[in-house]
Amino acid sequence: MLEVLFIGLSLGSILLLVALGLAITYGAMGVINMAHGEMVMVGAYATVLSGLWLGTNIFVAIPLAFIVTALLGLLIERVVVRKLYGRLLDTLLATWGIAILIQQAVRLEFGLSFFGIHVQGLGPGLQNVSVPEVLQGTFRLAGADINRYRAFIIVVTAVLAFVTWFVIYRTIAGTQVRAIIRNPKMAAACGIDVARVNALTFAFGSGLAGVAGVMMSGFKTVFPDMGTPMVVDGFMVVVMGGVGSLLGSLLSAGILGEINGLVAAATNDILARAVVFGVVIAIIVLKPKGLFALRGR
Amino acid sequence: MSSKRRIDWAIYAAFIFLIMLVPLLMDSFWINRLAKYLVFGMLGIAVALSWGYAGILNLGQGLFFGAGAYMLAMSLKLASQTSLQQGSDKPVPDFMLWNAEPGAPTELCCINKASFLWLPFQSQWFGVAMGLLLPIVIATVLGAVVFRKRISGVFVSIITLALVLLVRLVMIDAQPVTNGFNGLTDLGWFKIGEFEFDPYITATYYLIAISLGVVLVAARLLVETRAGVILQAVRDDQNRARYLGFDVPAYQTFFFSVSALIAGFAGMLYVIVSEFASPTFMDLSFSITMVVWAAVGGRASILGACIGAIAINMISATVSETEGFAEAWKAIIGLIFVLVVLYLPRGVAGLAHDLVDRVARKAPGAAPMLRVNDPSSQLAE
Repeated sequence: MLEVLFIGLSLGSILLLVALGLAITYGAMGVINMAHGEMVMVGAYATVLSGLWLGTNIFVAIPLAFIVTALLGLLIERVVVRKLYGRLLDTLLATWGIAILIQQAVRLEFGLSFFGIHVQGLGPGLQNVSVPEVLQGTFRLAGADINRYRAFIIVVTAVLAFVTWFVIYRTIAGTQVRAIIRNPKMAAACGIDVARVNALTFAFGSGLAGVAGVMMSGFKTVFPDMGTPMVVDGFMVVVMGGVGSLLGSLLSAGILGEINGLVAAATNDILARAVVFGVVIAIIVLKPKGLFALRGR
Repeated sequence: MSSKRRIDWAIYAAFIFLIMLVPLLMDSFWINRLAKYLVFGMLGIAVALSWGYAGILNLGQGLFFGAGAYMLAMSLKLASQTSLQQGSDKPVPDFMLWNAEPGAPTELCCINKASFLWLPFQSQWFGVAMGLLLPIVIATVLGAVVFRKRISGVFVSIITLALVLLVRLVMIDAQPVTNGFNGLTDLGWFKIGEFEFDPYITATYYLIAISLGVVLVAARLLVETRAGVILQAVRDDQNRARYLGFDVPAYQTFFFSVSALIAGFAGMLYVIVSEFASPTFMDLSFSITMVVWAAVGGRASILGACIGAIAINMISATVSETEGFAEAWKAIIGLIFVLVVLYLPRGVAGLAHDLVDRVARKAPGAAPMLRVNDPSSQLAE
């Protein structure tokens, strides 16, 4: 039983890593970033490529993936998203286009495949990442066999969730972000450079997704389409938790992860996902503002 | 009739005339292909109706398409040769036989626990009726719950999206009844009386082309009714419409259901031309792709969305035949999509409308027109 709960917790952790980024970008900026899943994918590929080309392991890949995806996020914000503030559903559509572009860029090896150049680690195929020995195998805790890698995921998530909380609630930049969540126009009137804060928020959220990608690459195959289900799951978490509420995202990621883990253990993975969707629909219908709604002004 | 409206209807007539003419120029392979694209055009209409006119961005339109498709496909599966095992006169889908437990009776009623659900589908018209009814029922129930609770904007999109993915997973999991991932293949032909609609003949093309023409005109007439105008008022400002005394959820639910009906109808037609139904109809990417078609063609224009769907599919079929371009084409689609959202929020039809406006204004005796607001700006919550 403890093992099952633990698996659920690790699933919830990945969900949370994906959802944290979405929670801030959606909450603060009113942008539905469908390319967020592609950030996960890019993070996973960063792990693959750094392993192949630099010979480094997953620990090095974490900061690397964060930087790469944060820069990519910054680029997307500057070029496309910036023009769409205030048009929520349009951001969903435009970023879906960006998502396709990023997927195809990986598949076509940035277009190099047209010239017959093959970049090892890219392309349409499946990639694998080997986990360093420290993280392999299991250890015993309170009479249960705990998978080391899953424990590692939970630890990384806990650290990043804490960092995010700290940034948002204990720094000046975070105060500005929260001001923008409450009321962007008033924030701008108070002298906050909304455009700049938004760009940095977007980059930070994308970076978190990149780290989620690194974590996923350790126990799942890496391929160009891997991000799409992630963005859907991430949104479910954010909407269920209540837009703009980090605590809500944290709890709903935990709840959905545990439901997924428990149902999967009792039946199978497919039904588990179906039940998760059902729970999310029920909660949105019953509490459209989410479990922990932030009062807007 | 204002001259602008006259031009609009002339364009509709020209489009319908054109799709009726096409089979004279093409071989059976292309006729079949084009028939599929006309079905996608019908999906474009469904999206334009719910998104452009009702302001409901349904990211689960594939649910209704899939529902229509599966309902008819079940009937056509039972009508197929593959369901008649060794001279038996009682049809049983082949995949049920392959997976039957040893000793299970080889009859539809009881070969597995849920196979009795297939019994009424031995009649093709039951399948057709269910293909139309099921989307309406789902949409009405969903709409009644969601719109009565005043859920709107992106939350509706998330609910519809979660629902289509949920149903897709259940369909995959219910393998004994639905053949899971593989879907229903090797279907028989659709029949009216003794006439069989072979998917590669011109008659099948006309079945679809005429259906599309009817749906197109009906949808256009529908949005011009009083109810259609009220609906657009709801889209532009829900609260104002509510304060004016209109029963907002009723209008939303009605048009949501009509859109679902069109999508379900399109699903049935698609099964007739493509001879399969599969869970991929309920993939997230398919539902979003429909929205892409409508956005490129023009979300607020019924004909625009329809042409957008047909044109994108025609072009991509042509382009992706060139080897190596299949993947690049997808990237181009992504790029086009970003550009359209950024610079052409009303799609190609928006451009065309501006042109028509200009022509109409120059025409002698044209009534002065009110400037219509860009609906896209209101769509954003």
